[in-house]
Amino acid sequence: MTTRVRTGLALALLAVPAARAQETPPKAFAIMGGTLLTMGPQGTIEKGTILVRDGKIAAVGKQVDVPSGLPVINATGLYVTPGLIDAHSHTAIEGGVNECTDVVTAEVRIADVIDNRDIDIYRQLAGGVTALNVLHGSCNAIGGQNAVIKLRWGKAPEELIFKEAPRGIKFALGENPKRSNFNVPGQRRYPGTRMGVEVVIRQAFEEARAYKREWQEYEKKLKAAGPKGEKPVPPRRDLRLETIRDILDGKIYVHAHCYRSDEILMLLRLADEFGFKVRTLQHVLEGYKVADEIAKHGAGASTFSDWWAYKIEAYDAIPYNAAIMASKGVLVSLNSDSSELARRLYWEAAKVVKYGGVSETEALKMVTLNPARQLGIDRWVGSLEAGKDADIAIFSAHPFDPETHVEMTLVEGQAYFDRSKDLAARGQGEKKAASGGQR
Amino acid sequence: MRRPALALLLLFAAGPALAADVALTGGRIVTVSGAVIPKGTVVISGGKIAAVGADVAVPPGATSVDVTGQTVYPGMIDGLTTLGLTEIGSVAGSVDVSEVGDVNPHIQAWVAVHPHSELIPVARANGITAALAAPGGGLISGQSALIRLAGSTPEALKVKTPLAMHMNYPSGRAPFDITRLFDEPELKTFEERQRERKKNQEKDLNRLRNLLEEAKAYGAALDAAKSGAPLPRPDLPMEALAPVARGAVPVIMRADNEDDIRGAVKFAEERKLKLIIAGGLEAWRCADLLKQKGVPVLVNVDRLPRKESDAYDAAYANPAALQKAGVAFAIVSDDASQSRNLPYEAAMARAFGLPADAALRAITLSPAEIFGVADRMGSLEPGKDANLFVASGDIMDHRSQVTHVFIDGVEQSLETRHTRLYKQFKDRN
Repeated sequence: MTTRVRTGLALALLAVPAARAQETPPKAFAIMGGTLLTMGPQGTIEKGTILVRDGKIAAVGKQVDVPSGLPVINATGLYVTPGLIDAHSHTAIEGGVNECTDVVTAEVRIADVIDNRDIDIYRQLAGGVTALNVLHGSCNAIGGQNAVIKLRWGKAPEELIFKEAPRGIKFALGENPKRSNFNVPGQRRYPGTRMGVEVVIRQAFEEARAYKREWQEYEKKLKAAGPKGEKPVPPRRDLRLETIRDILDGKIYVHAHCYRSDEILMLLRLADEFGFKVRTLQHVLEGYKVADEIAKHGAGASTFSDWWAYKIEAYDAIPYNAAIMASKGVLVSLNSDSSELARRLYWEAAKVVKYGGVSETEALKMVTLNPARQLGIDRWVGSLEAGKDADIAIFSAHPFDPETHVEMTLVEGQAYFDRSKDLAARGQGEKKAASGGQR
Repeated sequence: MRRPALALLLLFAAGPALAADVALTGGRIVTVSGAVIPKGTVVISGGKIAAVGADVAVPPGATSVDVTGQTVYPGMIDGLTTLGLTEIGSVAGSVDVSEVGDVNPHIQAWVAVHPHSELIPVARANGITAALAAPGGGLISGQSALIRLAGSTPEALKVKTPLAMHMNYPSGRAPFDITRLFDEPELKTFEERQRERKKNQEKDLNRLRNLLEEAKAYGAALDAAKSGAPLPRPDLPMEALAPVARGAVPVIMRADNEDDIRGAVKFAEERKLKLIIAGGLEAWRCADLLKQKGVPVLVNVDRLPRKESDAYDAAYANPAALQKAGVAFAIVSDDASQSRNLPYEAAMARAFGLPADAALRAITLSPAEIFGVADRMGSLEPGKDANLFVASGDIMDHRSQVTHVFIDGVEQSLETRHTRLYKQFKDRN
């Protein structure tokens, strides 16, 4: 049934960073023999098989019919997980992550400035990551729109965008929009207090509501005028208010950077008042203090495993945050907010086993299925289930094992990272340079 | 009526309570200095390790602690931190790491270590029992101190001071000036910038040379004063630098780039300094030189590679490369709030080529050796300070729990700000 089983992992799939000539991956192949941590209803499958066809997982299970002649990745002794998803990233952004010049900048879009040549994309692939929620910075109470991307290393910026992902936007509460961390002499910008942060957001939504009414009035008049009547003058288009109106209409997910329990409650209260949902609270380091309220509102939480004490609003951060919130029914993910940390998200997940006794499967979900659900992309990614994209990470040992490293990372069935190929290619660049040759 | 009062009086008059003998029984013992003992006993007495072995008897009167199924380790030593010198990074009032000015050899970290920092119990609760509290910034930052992570006063915390004089290999770049943030950038070629940098570096190195030369002279003047010559005018910086210039006190010099590391080694050789490199991001590129000159490295593992063209795991595989080349090194957190994650830095080095026992040594006996305190800590050997901890499994496995921590034979509470907040809020109504 299976032929061409290789003992190594090397397969005729592109993997070398910035490779010019990209080989086309085989249309179908199988991964066999590994322990599959599916994060789905099948749970853990020992010596399982994943059949990949046209970039999708065609089948997953203990007994899967693999047509003869198909290339096979021999994953015996290895662990296979869904590709990891970082729900808070600033990787692959060109020229600046913060449009700091105004306190509400809903109209700007990270998708416009994706840098596909950021080497940290490759380095995160090497850590098993396959998708990122690339966010605007936390300079402004209402920041810009995010871009959810897949780490299709080597492709053009627009090809990295996760097309099916719902739109999202960044809010920021607390110290950062107050600019208390920015000691730029002579510059004072509103808001300077948490009271001001609330007012800024409230004001923006009031204006957006009025803008929505204006346009609804106009639509009514336009309809009433009919094909022959005098056309009413449309209101002036405002990209900023349009975006916030889309939030009101539930068309954009709000990802709100926040720390303190009072500001978390402030935003949930404000959202309830204006009739929209906060999709995720980001960082949310005091989330454990108001976990019930967060669960009641229905917001997800995307937090650090154990960062603390770098700001006063992070002084009460505890590594049990994720476990407490999860125990109260909050959908929790763990993120990095750091190109350095993003490479080892799998070990960040291991920490919540230690701090709070979360089960290993639930812990691993916090960097796979849970962020996928938070970002509204779980139909395509987040677990090893038939029908989902073949976004897969293959580890040398259990992802929580102290000696584990990633052997291979695939996005839609294409191995964008292959450690054996990476190792084989080392030194070649320097050799070629020394001999005067081209890449 | 009188007798109970007398008994109480005697109790209080007995002086500070001596740690009772403790025997940890039934556990797997990782001594670091020798073979692993699959099942044995560690006896603690008078603040020291009294006995370690498979067939060690529990002394009469000792408190027995059954650690069957768990592992006993020497307390970890974090060889580069700002523990006690920083509380909340963004709150200047709570940060005492970098003094004003470029040249501060007379600064002593130990006097400013905050014994009641919330960060110390957090590190201790994960098995860190000693750490280097180091100043930073400038050309010469000041003197670091090795501290134990238990005690109510700086005197009680300090184990050895000065441990080293901290310096930063000059970068040659102008210090960041935020008032010029929005100025038009100067148009210079890369070559011009490089030349400028090298010139600035040489200028700073000359400054350092002059300071060390002056310090040597000052030291000689102090020596002369002992045999009757008049005392030189008081000069705290020179007095602090004198033993460094002589090679009596080591220099811990921060350098990451290969050029800077090579420059530091060359400079130390020229000035006959006892050099330890801190950072060492590209130490793997000059491992042979470091081995040849006997320069140890304090290396932080969780870092991005310096160059885009570097292997993605260059920093992770750094310790393994140093170990292969025979370079002495310790794995350090180079942090304060994240010192507790020291064993996981070692784990990353292990995942990328460093053998498990070498990884453990890099956070226990190796820093002790590099700091000249291996006679008293870093391994489970009779006679050493009873600094040790017990874990439910491999300490480099993120899932393991630390169940007991001893410092100088006294069992430490594992309560921290975090456990208190956890208890307070996990069932909040």
